[in-house]
Amino acid sequence: MAIHTSRRNFLQTTGAFAAAYAMGTFPGLAHAAREKELNIYCWEGYNSDDVLDPFRREFDATVRAEGLTSDPDAVNRLRAGETKIWDLINVNNPWAREMMWPEGLILDLPRDRFEPFFEQMMPAFHPPYSWAMDKTGEHLLGVTQRFGPFNFVVNTDKISRSMAEDQGFKLFLDPAMKDRYGVLTYDNWNIYHMCVAADVHPFKVHTPEEISAFSDMARQIFNGAKILTDDLVAMNLALINGEIDAYFTGGTYTASPARYDGYSNVRGITPASGPMDGKGGIVWIELTSVVNNPQVSPLAEEFLAYIQRPDVSKNVAFAEGTYNPVTQMGSADVLGAFDSDELDAIQWDTLEEEMARSADYDINPDYAEMYEHYSAAKREREA
Amino acid sequence: MKSFSDWIRQPGLLNAVPVGLFLLVGFAGPLVLVLLYSFMPPKTFTLNQVPTLENYLSVVTQSYYISFGWSLMLAVITVALLLVITYPIAYGMTKLFNRWATLITILVALPLLISENIRLFGWVLLLLKNGVIDGSLQYLLGVSLSGLLYTVPAVVLGLVYVYLPFMLFPLVIGMSMVPDSLKEAASDLGASRLQIFWEVELPLSMPGILIGSLLVFILSLGSLAESKILGGQVIVMIADDIESAFTFAQNWPKGSVLSVLLITLSLVIIFFLFRNIDLDRLVGRR
Repeated sequence: MAIHTSRRNFLQTTGAFAAAYAMGTFPGLAHAAREKELNIYCWEGYNSDDVLDPFRREFDATVRAEGLTSDPDAVNRLRAGETKIWDLINVNNPWAREMMWPEGLILDLPRDRFEPFFEQMMPAFHPPYSWAMDKTGEHLLGVTQRFGPFNFVVNTDKISRSMAEDQGFKLFLDPAMKDRYGVLTYDNWNIYHMCVAADVHPFKVHTPEEISAFSDMARQIFNGAKILTDDLVAMNLALINGEIDAYFTGGTYTASPARYDGYSNVRGITPASGPMDGKGGIVWIELTSVVNNPQVSPLAEEFLAYIQRPDVSKNVAFAEGTYNPVTQMGSADVLGAFDSDELDAIQWDTLEEEMARSADYDINPDYAEMYEHYSAAKREREA
Repeated sequence: MKSFSDWIRQPGLLNAVPVGLFLLVGFAGPLVLVLLYSFMPPKTFTLNQVPTLENYLSVVTQSYYISFGWSLMLAVITVALLLVITYPIAYGMTKLFNRWATLITILVALPLLISENIRLFGWVLLLLKNGVIDGSLQYLLGVSLSGLLYTVPAVVLGLVYVYLPFMLFPLVIGMSMVPDSLKEAASDLGASRLQIFWEVELPLSMPGILIGSLLVFILSLGSLAESKILGGQVIVMIADDIESAFTFAQNWPKGSVLSVLLITLSLVIIFFLFRNIDLDRLVGRR
């Protein structure tokens, strides 16, 4: 979609944002100026014009959205004072409940307005949905939308889906796989997956033996990898052109762009079993929350209600970049908006069974200690 | 002796106030913050904690020397390669090419207008298996060169490519400071071509060589994109460790320690490099 911005428009928009930012320091003056303005800090997709333009028109609003590339980075920015800038933040499930709410970085939502939306979602997300609630179960911290199993990805022309599911992460330990796989370096996810590969539950307190098993696994995975990159496109490309047969850490989120381009042999795999109470896969769920901005825009809640609409839900699922299932697909109206190619791209055919084999993404209590082992294994990798 | 009111009204001082304030807030301020954070306990996000050396100890006892080593080595290799590559170009631009020199300047400067990451992704397409180089060779000669990407030489290629202008332009300025009359005089006095190069041209163009080398060295030492995009993190540079500490590890104090050590390392190297060199003399002020 073309963006038509005249010089005057541009100056007006940037001027409005600068003025609003400046007014952040004068609380009494700001509220009126922010009624038509909304600033969103989100994973790519919510910043797409397909999602934002109809909202801009309907609410006659100036909406600014910036894409984020890492949950911890985003939370760091709020900690560093950017709560004065943003009205909405969209990160993965544990951050709201475990970090942002306890640290006073986000606000709660009126339950009577938003819980009915959860009723319409897929059954697993019906209210009270624990990741959307604070630990007391009283405060609603955000709304869910995109989610997806996230484990590893294979080229099914080289490694069959059933074999990959049966072997799970042990697949990467096979001597025949040395230099035949990549590691997508989403560090926090790598750590969880290396735990699973070492038969260690990632989301509990660990014994020294388990930490040691994780450390050995991190070295083994890094030393056997041909490519390390945090670029999912580069990883898919390496998979498609035969440079590798699989990549460690990945799922619907990373495989879907290649699948939608016609490479249906690129497939996210959820292991059939594993150490998380029998489950071998992990699923992430995004939560969008209202930032504890001293002059929060009244449009923030309106936007959270707006993204529940069927057409908008579909646009969020299929915004540029990556394609993902949305919790709103529990409604026939939303599901009906997807064609067969789109459903195939997000692996809708196996989504339910993959979800059943997955534990929810969570905080690892020993993340800090494991990160030291992880980063040492990466630095000391035998290239 | 001037009174304070006279002293404060000096035009030089007044004019320096805006840039002084800007440097204080924009340059010194963040560095002081990083230094202060390096003494805070691990995983804290405020500066009101009891200072500790814990992070320094942790960095020294772990294997961060590997990342420092790679960054240092690649920075040195990049400087050496760029000196060899750009010296003849700079010589040609100042002495031989005449009006063509402007065209070369434009051609070298133009890529600077495009984001470094985009240019590096261009190289990915060239070096990729079945990419432009490998695909063309397969088609034309039936041979495959599929192992080009995600290697240490690919990282060096990226560094040399990205930082070439930062070496070339100071060299051009340095060489343009060598008067032809001196070379002619040396020749008249019986010096060979090699002697003229070693004893006249090289010493007189040293300011350009030093400034170019310094720029490239510092930029390469703190580089990140080349090892990530072209190297597939085949090696971990120290800037990568710093980024990870500030983001995924959520350990600002450790990231600060690594940053302080990198800055200190750069300062020590600059100090030793310039210790025996009189900059004023080099740039012709006396």
